[in-house]
Amino acid sequence: MAFAPRLLLPPPPPARCPPPASARHGGRTAPELSGPTPRVVVVTSGKGGVGKTTTTANLAASLARLSLPAVAVDADAGLRNLDLLLGLENRVHLTAADVLAGDCRLDQALVRHRALHDLQLLCLSKPRSKLPLAFGSKTLTWVADALRRAANPPAFILIDCPAGVDAGFVTAIAPAEEAVLVTTPDITALRDADRVAGLLECDGIKDIKIIVNRVRPDLVKGEDMMSALDVQEMLGLPLLGVVPEDAEVIRSTNRGVPLVLNDPPTPAGLALEQATWRLVERDAMTAVMVEEQERPKKKVGFFSFFGG
Amino acid sequence: MAMAMATAAAAISGSFGGDSCAVLAPSASVLPAPGRRTSAASSKAQLSSFPRGRLGNLMRTPKRLCIEHQSCSQSSTRTLAFSRSDFSPITQDVEGFLHNAVGMGFLDRLKLAWKIIFPAPSIKENSNANIAKQRLKMVLFSDRCEVSDEAKKKIVENIVESLSEFVEIESRDSVQVDISTDAGLGTVYSVTVPVRRVKPEYQESEEQYRGKIVGVDFKDTGETSGSVDVTFDFFVPNKNY
Repeated sequence: MAFAPRLLLPPPPPARCPPPASARHGGRTAPELSGPTPRVVVVTSGKGGVGKTTTTANLAASLARLSLPAVAVDADAGLRNLDLLLGLENRVHLTAADVLAGDCRLDQALVRHRALHDLQLLCLSKPRSKLPLAFGSKTLTWVADALRRAANPPAFILIDCPAGVDAGFVTAIAPAEEAVLVTTPDITALRDADRVAGLLECDGIKDIKIIVNRVRPDLVKGEDMMSALDVQEMLGLPLLGVVPEDAEVIRSTNRGVPLVLNDPPTPAGLALEQATWRLVERDAMTAVMVEEQERPKKKVGFFSFFGG
Repeated sequence: MAMAMATAAAAISGSFGGDSCAVLAPSASVLPAPGRRTSAASSKAQLSSFPRGRLGNLMRTPKRLCIEHQSCSQSSTRTLAFSRSDFSPITQDVEGFLHNAVGMGFLDRLKLAWKIIFPAPSIKENSNANIAKQRLKMVLFSDRCEVSDEAKKKIVENIVESLSEFVEIESRDSVQVDISTDAGLGTVYSVTVPVRRVKPEYQESEEQYRGKIVGVDFKDTGETSGSVDVTFDFFVPNKNY
C-alpha cells in the first residue's frame, strides 16, 4: 500500500493520491461475480448495535460502485435506519407495505441513490403507519421474487435484518440464501452470534460468513480484546472481513454518505470494500495475527491484519 | 499486620485460655474491613483471638492458607472471615511462596525472588482476552448442548429403564437430570438416581472367590538368598452376610 492509515500517522501530504482500486486488488478492476443472480444476502447479527445497518449500507454502496446493481432492503418494520445511512431519508415515500396493499408498484417504492445509480433502497414499512407491523414471514420472499422477475433484476439483494431473533428476524431471513453475520469481538455479541448462526443453519442457510466489526488493534495487542482469529476459532465460520474501529463511521453516518465512498479511503472503508470483493467472489479470508515487532517498518503489516 | 483467612479447618468456637491460639473456620461470608464486628453470616465462622503478640501456628492446607489472627483489642469472640477469593490469584501464589520461603536455602530464595520480580508468563493466562475466551467457550458449550424438555424426559426414562435391570430404584419421581459445564470436561449431563438396593442376581457375592489364593506375602523373593519364603491363604467366604 502506498499510503498510510489516517488514524496512526499524521495526515499525508496533499499532493499524494491513493493508488487506483485495481492496485489494491492485485491488478483487477472488478471482482468476478460467482453464482446466479440475484444473490439474496441477509446481514444479521442477533445483538443490536454491532454495525449491521452500517455494514449493509456500505456493502451495497461498494457493490454499486463496482457496477453491480444492488437493492438494499431495510427489513426492520418498526425502526428504520438504513435510509439515514444512505442519505435517502427524505425520499422514501412509498414502502413495501404499500406495494403489498396494492397501492403502488414495486418500482415506485424503490428509491434510487443520486450518486450511485446502481444502488436502490427499499423500506419495509413506514414507522408510524396504521398497518399492523406484523408482516407474514413470506413478505420478503415475495419481494425477492418480484425483484427477480423485474425487467432489470439486481445482482444483489442485501437485507438488513432487525436485531433480535423474533418474528422480524424470521421474516428477514426467509428469502435469503446466504448470510453475513456481523459481530464485535466481545463476549456478548459472540454468544448471540453463535445462537443466530444456529438458527440460520436450522432455517437452511448454510453459507454464513462473519464480519468482525469495531476491532481495536491497540486493545487486541494488549490482550484486552479478542482478536479476529479468536472469533473465528470460537464461531467456526469463514471470515469475510475484519473492520477496525473508525471515527469516520460516525462522521459518514452524520453526513449521510456511505463510508466506502470516502476518497482517500479510511481503514474501515477499505476493510469493507475488501469484504465486498470477497462477498462477490464467494471468498473468505484467513485471519492473521499482526506481528508488529517483526515488521516495524512496513505499514503493510497493519493492512494485512485486516485482510489484504 | 496479620490477616485472617478462612480455611477448611473444622469449626471450633469458644474461647481458649492461656496461649494464644486462634483457630480459623471456613466461612462463606466476606467482610470488607478487618476487625469489623458482624453477625456471622454462616454459623461456622468463629474466631477467637487473644492479645498476645505472637504469631502461632502456621497451618498450610493445599488450597488455603491461614494465619493466626493477632488483635490488640478485646478477647471476646469475633467473627472474622476472609475468603481466598478476595485476593487475586497472583497474590495468593506470592503469599504461598513467602510462607515457604522461611524454610528455603539461599539459592532457592534467589530463584523465588527472580520469579516474583519477573513474573512467569502464566500471568498472560489472566489477560482479559483469555478470560473472555474461556468464559465464551463454556457459554457456547452449554448453549449448544442444551436439550429440549422432551429429550430430557426421554433420557430419564431410558436411563431408569436400563438401570432397573440391575438395581431397584427408590422412586421414579426422585430422579434428577442436570446439565452443567465443567472446566475440564465441557458440558456434563448428570442423571441422579436414588437406589434402594441391588437386585439379588447382581449382588457382589463372595462365593465366587471361594478357594482362590489370597493374602500372598513374600518375606523373601529369593533374589539374593536363593530360597523363597511366602505365605498365602485359600479364601473362605464369610458365612454371615
